[in-house]
Amino acid sequence: MTEQLKVRDHNELFHLEEYQVSRDKKKEFEKGASPEKLAETRAYTCSEDYLKKNFDRKALTINPAKACQPLGALLAAVGFDGCMPYVHGSQGCAAYFRSHFIRHFKEPFAAVSDSMTEDAAVFGGQKNMIEGLKNAYALYKPKIMAVSTTCMAEVIGDDLNAFIKNSRKEGAVPDGLPIPFAHTPSFVGSHVTGYDNMMRGMLFHLAQNVKATEKDNGKINIIPGFDGFTVGNIREIRRILDLMGVDYIILGDNSETLDTPQDGEYHMYYGGTTIEEVAQARNAKATFALLPDSVEKSVTTLMKDDWGQPFEASIVPLGLSGVDNWLMKVSEITGKPVPKALEAERGRALDAMTDSGYYLHGKRFAIYGDPSYVEALVDFYMEMGAEPAHIVVTNGSKRWGRALQKKLEGSDFGKNAKVHHGADLWHLRSLMIAEPVDFLVGNTHGKILAREMKVPLIRLGFPIFDRHHLHRYATFGYQGIINILQWTVNTLLDDVDNKAGDFNLDFVR
Amino acid sequence: MNLSTIRELYKEPACSHNAGKKDASCPRPTPGKAAGGCSFDGAQITLAPITDAAHVVHGPIGCVGNTWNNRGSLSSGPRMNRMAFTTDLNNNDVVFGGEKKLYKAVREIAAKYSPPAIFVYQTCVTSMIGDDLEALCKAVSAKAGVPVIPVDAPGFTGTKNFGNRLAGDSLLKNVIGTREPVTYHPFNVNLIGEFNIAGELWGILPLLDRLNIRLICSLSGDARFHEVAMMHRANVNMMVCSRALLNVARRMKEKYGIPYFEGSFYGSGNTSEALITIARLIGDEGLIKRAEALAVEETARIAPRLEKLRERLSGKKALLYTGGVKSWSIVGALQELGMKVVATGTKKSTEEDKARIKNLMGEEAELISEGAPRKLLEVFKRHGADILLAGGRNQYTALKARIPFVDVNQERHIPFTGYDGHVRLAGAVAGAIESPAFRMARTPEPFGDPL
Ligand code: SF4
Ligand code: SF4
Repeated sequence: MTEQLKVRDHNELFHLEEYQVSRDKKKEFEKGASPEKLAETRAYTCSEDYLKKNFDRKALTINPAKACQPLGALLAAVGFDGCMPYVHGSQGCAAYFRSHFIRHFKEPFAAVSDSMTEDAAVFGGQKNMIEGLKNAYALYKPKIMAVSTTCMAEVIGDDLNAFIKNSRKEGAVPDGLPIPFAHTPSFVGSHVTGYDNMMRGMLFHLAQNVKATEKDNGKINIIPGFDGFTVGNIREIRRILDLMGVDYIILGDNSETLDTPQDGEYHMYYGGTTIEEVAQARNAKATFALLPDSVEKSVTTLMKDDWGQPFEASIVPLGLSGVDNWLMKVSEITGKPVPKALEAERGRALDAMTDSGYYLHGKRFAIYGDPSYVEALVDFYMEMGAEPAHIVVTNGSKRWGRALQKKLEGSDFGKNAKVHHGADLWHLRSLMIAEPVDFLVGNTHGKILAREMKVPLIRLGFPIFDRHHLHRYATFGYQGIINILQWTVNTLLDDVDNKAGDFNLDFVR
Repeated sequence: MNLSTIRELYKEPACSHNAGKKDASCPRPTPGKAAGGCSFDGAQITLAPITDAAHVVHGPIGCVGNTWNNRGSLSSGPRMNRMAFTTDLNNNDVVFGGEKKLYKAVREIAAKYSPPAIFVYQTCVTSMIGDDLEALCKAVSAKAGVPVIPVDAPGFTGTKNFGNRLAGDSLLKNVIGTREPVTYHPFNVNLIGEFNIAGELWGILPLLDRLNIRLICSLSGDARFHEVAMMHRANVNMMVCSRALLNVARRMKEKYGIPYFEGSFYGSGNTSEALITIARLIGDEGLIKRAEALAVEETARIAPRLEKLRERLSGKKALLYTGGVKSWSIVGALQELGMKVVATGTKKSTEEDKARIKNLMGEEAELISEGAPRKLLEVFKRHGADILLAGGRNQYTALKARIPFVDVNQERHIPFTGYDGHVRLAGAVAGAIESPAFRMARTPEPFGDPL
């Protein structure tokens, strides 16, 4: 039997006398504000006056709710078989992206950079690129290297196309090695834009020599999009399409590489869309994107102009009508009917919705995250009778914001909601003070805010660093409805129990 | 940042791998090879734990978005440092310059939050578009009436370690020595390179209190801005981790005559040695005696608990992959538990660190200078080791390979410092090795070869 090791955490430690002594000693050096002053300031930041001032803020972003382009590019790149993401720029960015994905997916994540330094800032990054591609190829033997840029390379104005050509000329990499690339400056757009740009780079490059055939091959393509739940969602979409008997290709299937089995080995590359599959995708019947914001520009133009393929990117298969509409669209394009098994699943999802309805109906909530996810979740929560109050999206376009606002105005549940595109989490704080809500929906970054506002946080989005396994669950499909409900309702019920006095600790909820 | 300053800083003379070499400089990254964080990252890691200051990142969104509140450097009081402030540059700013935006941002923070100081971090982009951080900080500081400290460590200047040093440099220039303590105390110490990860500083403070040694500043775990400003009044500097802050200790010795030494609070032996060394360098006979007595008492106090764990761990083999001081101090801590350390990482270690390692592990000790996952796994298997102790980036690689793992870097959640910390470290190691899930993972599937 192992001895129980008692580890006191700091909540406990701080109440011990020895720690109180240390703390008091610190005061001499602090010269901090008095408790009265602190209370006064806090009260001020909760005032209406401050709300206005907060929204007048232009030069400063506080607690942002978006990430930068190359981060999204990396998530797209690792969905391809044997692909090593290669970041052209200074080394720090790539290191950050890696830790981000490692912390979210709890998986190893490989990516390299060519570590540009101040010399490169002066003379351009071509030298780094040639040497970097050479080293990375020799060290990690990838089948594909996907190059994206950081801000630094973009400010210098490095020309990736020319650099890669020159690298080949210099013999840094073998002739046949595919090197798709994307310019991903972060002072434009966000991680979803980066996903879009890299996905286009991959598809364009890997299929550029594939001729269009007269007749399509009957398959459909699926582009998953920038999705923190990508592992669970891709698997769920596969399962659904298999049930329907639809032949499909997932473009950028990162569900394997971000969830490798424990077989005693470390796999740098594991699964993913193969080059042959991309070639087939060129002649598919149609392409479906699951998250419109991840294919907003680059991919859409590629599909429509170059590939000349029917492209369906407006339906997110999340929430009851979302899934319904998506299935009907797939059915319409492929001619395959929705099978009985899915009908039964739908019934179960509906059953779950009615079971939980009591606890969500009339509840007001605030939400932040990426545009497509936020919109789909808002739609779904409204299907449950919940009422959105504050919708904060840093990286949504004005057009998107206006369209959503309009849709909400036409809905009984959404008519009091306001969409704040371009806002950050500090704006959201002011909003939640002015008009409190019952729960908050978003990623880990909302943790402190939720605590301050004393509301539960439903973790849906990216990144989620502080909970385990969520990415392995689906949020799409009918199964996804049950999962989202499970998290939401049970988190709210935990909150009810935590806040309940002794007289309200019922066994049945 | 001007290039000659960068080059000069690259040649930190007290860094022992530079000593005696003619054209010496810190190692530069290799293009195309997986690398660690940038200088900006290093600078931010060093300074962001200063809890009551506001930290503004002048750059595009990602530089702050990716670092925000990610490290477990805990605060016992203010939490200003948890706020992510950034100028979030857009296309226009890149074309026309970001100075105006930064100016407004700093004024806004000063007016609305009145922190004791505002640190402003340069990033690659703003450095390249030529924003003059130093001049701007000076101007806005005068207007806003609060110290505004420029941290000119754009990522492209090099590695994380180099960024630590640039941050130290900025403190030496702008902060240290700008304020005096209110009361006199005979025994004062600074801990340089103690970041209070998982609250590790709080494993040390009560010990110092018992010896009546006053901690002026821990740079920078749980530090307040004014503590940093008073650091020059210490009697002794202890370098706890990150040789990259060595420039701070060395320059404080030159400028203020404060002696420094390198020590560690990992392992009870190292903890005792550190406390006694602090006392010796302060030079008070009574204090030295009390430190020695405390060491004996504390060691005896944890002995029974440690002994039980030693029974479970003795003879087990560990592979250690971490940086700097930890590369030798944790070796000692594990050896005290009767474990054999089969190899240790030396990527961020100095020649001195390496000498200490050899001293502990013997001349034939295997030193790993390169921590690519495959290499680590190869070393692990070759030695038939039982556990890997490393940082979060290696965690999941290890787990995939069915290797019991303990995080000893910045994402650890258990404090390992001091006497109790040693027991906790032993407990964590034993727990990982004995985990039933691992035992199952190492047993072959029951169904033989699947069809
Ligand atoms: S420099 Fe640009 S690419 Fe790099 S982390 Fe910052 S925002 Fe992202
Ligand atoms: S390398 Fe430059 S751009 Fe990238 S994270 Fe570091 S400071 Fe930001």
